[in-house]
Amino acid sequence: MIGTFRGLYTALKHAFRSPVTLNYPDEQPKLSPRFMAHPVLTWDHGIEEPYCTGCLICMRICPTDVITVSMKDNDKFKLEESKRRKIVDDFELDVAGCIMCGLCVEYCNFDAIIMSDKFNESVTDRNTEVHSLDELLEEGKEQQAKGRWSPPAVKKSQRRSAAQVVTKDGQGATTDSANAPDNRVALAREKAAALRASRELDKKNKESSEKGNN
Amino acid sequence: MTLTSFLTIIAIVFVMFNTALVGVLAVIYAERKVLARLQQRIGPSRTGPWGILQTMADAVKLVLKEDVRPAESDKVVFYLAPLVIFTPIFMLWAVLPLDSTKVLSDIDLGLLYVAAILGLSVVGMVLAGWSSNSKYAMLGSARSAAQLISYELPLILSALGVGLLAQLYSDTPFNLSEIVRAQLSIPFIFVMPLGFVLFMIGALAETARIPFDIPHADEEIVGGAFVEYSGIRWGTFQLAEYTGLITMSVLASILFLGGWNGPFSEKLTWLQPLYLMSKTGFIILLTFWIRAPLPRLRIDQLMAFAWKVIIPISFLNLIIISSALFTGKQLGISDDVVKGIIALLSIISLLLVTYFIGRRRRKRLNNYRARWGSN
Amino acid sequence: METKAEVVKSANPDMAELRINMGPQHPATHGVFRMVLGLDGERIISVEPHIGYLHRGSEKLSEGENFQQITTLFDRLDYVSNFNNEWVYVRVVEKAMEIELPERAEYIRVILAELNRIASHFLFYGTYGLDTGAMNPSMVGFRERERIQEVFEAVSGARMMHNYFRVGGVKEDLPDGFVPAVGNLLDHLKRGYDDARDTLTESEIFIERTADIGKLSAEETLDYGVTGPILRAAGVDYDIRKADPYSIYPELDFQIPLGSHGDCYDRYMVRMLEIEQSIRIVEQAISRLPDGPIQSKVPRIMRPPEGDFYVHGENPRGDLGVYLVSKGGTVRPYRLKIRGPSFSNLMALSSMLENVYLADATVILGSLDIVLGEVDR
Repeated sequence: MIGTFRGLYTALKHAFRSPVTLNYPDEQPKLSPRFMAHPVLTWDHGIEEPYCTGCLICMRICPTDVITVSMKDNDKFKLEESKRRKIVDDFELDVAGCIMCGLCVEYCNFDAIIMSDKFNESVTDRNTEVHSLDELLEEGKEQQAKGRWSPPAVKKSQRRSAAQVVTKDGQGATTDSANAPDNRVALAREKAAALRASRELDKKNKESSEKGNN
Repeated sequence: MTLTSFLTIIAIVFVMFNTALVGVLAVIYAERKVLARLQQRIGPSRTGPWGILQTMADAVKLVLKEDVRPAESDKVVFYLAPLVIFTPIFMLWAVLPLDSTKVLSDIDLGLLYVAAILGLSVVGMVLAGWSSNSKYAMLGSARSAAQLISYELPLILSALGVGLLAQLYSDTPFNLSEIVRAQLSIPFIFVMPLGFVLFMIGALAETARIPFDIPHADEEIVGGAFVEYSGIRWGTFQLAEYTGLITMSVLASILFLGGWNGPFSEKLTWLQPLYLMSKTGFIILLTFWIRAPLPRLRIDQLMAFAWKVIIPISFLNLIIISSALFTGKQLGISDDVVKGIIALLSIISLLLVTYFIGRRRRKRLNNYRARWGSN
Repeated sequence: METKAEVVKSANPDMAELRINMGPQHPATHGVFRMVLGLDGERIISVEPHIGYLHRGSEKLSEGENFQQITTLFDRLDYVSNFNNEWVYVRVVEKAMEIELPERAEYIRVILAELNRIASHFLFYGTYGLDTGAMNPSMVGFRERERIQEVFEAVSGARMMHNYFRVGGVKEDLPDGFVPAVGNLLDHLKRGYDDARDTLTESEIFIERTADIGKLSAEETLDYGVTGPILRAAGVDYDIRKADPYSIYPELDFQIPLGSHGDCYDRYMVRMLEIEQSIRIVEQAISRLPDGPIQSKVPRIMRPPEGDFYVHGENPRGDLGVYLVSKGGTVRPYRLKIRGPSFSNLMALSSMLENVYLADATVILGSLDIVLGEVDR
């Protein structure tokens, strides 16, 4: 019977500890800075336009296809106020289908989309969960005001390549099929230049052969 | 019996009924709060100050629910079963003394009345399960009937032991008020702790509390005999169960803890009901405490435990008491020494039983400790 | 060969078998799982399990998603031990592309996966206590699980569906204050484990309910392909972390708990002792956590070469295997087959449920510790 008594004693010990209950909604949970609820768009306060250029990468990487984006030419670029050639035209995010995986944030090249901490977005109608561009920008401004995000000093693309360094003495991706991303653009440029050069050469040979024939 | 006395009795019964209802509300709320504290939670805290209106809110919700009856069920018996369960338990309240002068029916065979009425509680469960025309309900009621019948014996036998002891002090030892008066010097729990343990086990099984709550094991047969009842009809079963709990606790306090006795209780008679209620509360808290960490016994283990362990021990209890009393009377030993001998023998048998019950556990645990140090 | 049901029926031809449906909605089946039981009084004589209520087409969906997106699918397979699932998946892609990991990434993975194992076993403890009827264990189990999930939230941003492991490493580095937080967590976990052990492990009623119930001998477990704690409870000394080690497990010092009787109590004990061992592993890993990068150089768009690759890992539930068929050069797998441990463990159910009481059915099913997400995928 000792085991039963030990169980009873343990239960009694619990009664003298303070409860571990979080009295929601009087007490809100303390979220970590990395907490992932649905994504929102960031706002560039310096230029007063969204960071998002409508490049569609987040739309392509989303596993559940809940993002819809389109882009337009940026008027501010023509007025030379902004460096962004294109700017987002329309952006729709269906929060009901979002699985909050964070892939869109990870793949965005412009720090334009961040994960918010708005986990209590319950609605009474299933179709009202689609957030439009204005809503997302508003929520993004809220997140920035809360201090959950601020414009980083180093751009995303530079941060990404700095993180993926070769590990201890020569390790890293080694197979031929894994082409290093940095090389491919340069390789493609070389290839294009070589193709152009060979075409020029062909053209010259053709002209000279025609001249020679005539 | 004149009209006025009849009406007085009706009025008293009405008051007692309402007390039972309010008492059940309070006990359900207390159970939820106490269980919560034993699990490092808070329990109900929003409905009303400190959540005291929680049970009221649950009752209102149950009343507002749709009253569903399975089409193939026996209509009359289906509707009658909750009443049949509640009535015997409430009939027990007639003989329970509130203090030295107040008892509704001061009969000399109070204990026998208790034993007889407890037997009726089986009927209601069987009717409820059978009339529902559902396999789960039938299983539940069959299990419950077996359990209730088996565990009545230790209950009654230990109460009988109390009656035997009360013989030392009065000529009507089965009168519950006399039993309380017999405990003026020392409550019977200190004289026969074995009897108290047996009574508690029997009481837990009669009211179907953990570890004996296989009749309404949520995990397997989702409600057991009451699975087809909805709304306030199911609420009546809960009412009956908690009234049973309160009744058993009052009985335990009367039989073993000294009832309405306590310091200064003879002179200040208004203290007596308070003592009774606090002792009842103590037993109820004990029931809650037992509920939290213990798993439930399976039906065949339950029956084996009853017939192979508890009932022989209750007979042993009776043998200890009666032989001690008899030899005491023959040899002219004083009452206190007799009581001391009974207490000693009770404690020895309790320790022996505890040792033997834990044998299987010790074997399994030794197996592990040998391999892993202390697990 | 005649089943027990046929034997009983042929002996009493006019006996009516009571068929009970422990249906998809039931407090005791761990998820949407349906068992049609044939009862003779209180004894079970036949059992017909029905699965598929949680089938979400994970394997087919993975044929339409890039390799980076499939991690989100694997999170949701065995939704209780997410990091372990993600780990097996990223290992198979790393094996296909022959990528080696920086050491810090390996350590981070081991720490998080072992913490997840502790969380999963605490969930088992909670639900198993409820199956046998006790209420306190569920509160203790979930309280400890909440603590672990807070640490997970600080690391990955999500309490459950993390999407944190990447091919070649992990998504981002650990937050500041991680090591002291984990040290704190381990102290709490040890105390919680003591609470858990004191409440159920030595309780006589619990031992009565679980000892000598649902025995599986070592040959039977091997025949059915049962893996994980059930296999070890039957006495077979097979744990992938020791038998076919991966990552940094060869450098860590831990033991594999083994049972001897193969019954429900042994399975419970094996899982409880595994919690202890996992706490040990996390302590060692935390003390030796090296600095360094957390991801090796991997292309943004991954195209594994042609071939078949199989990797298996020790999940809290058993042996999770992922079989990748790649046609070479595509961004999506040609076929991704998942060997779910709970699915294989469930196959042993019918033989364990022969001639037991109805109340034992819940206990035996609980001891298998299945998660329907893995069974149905």
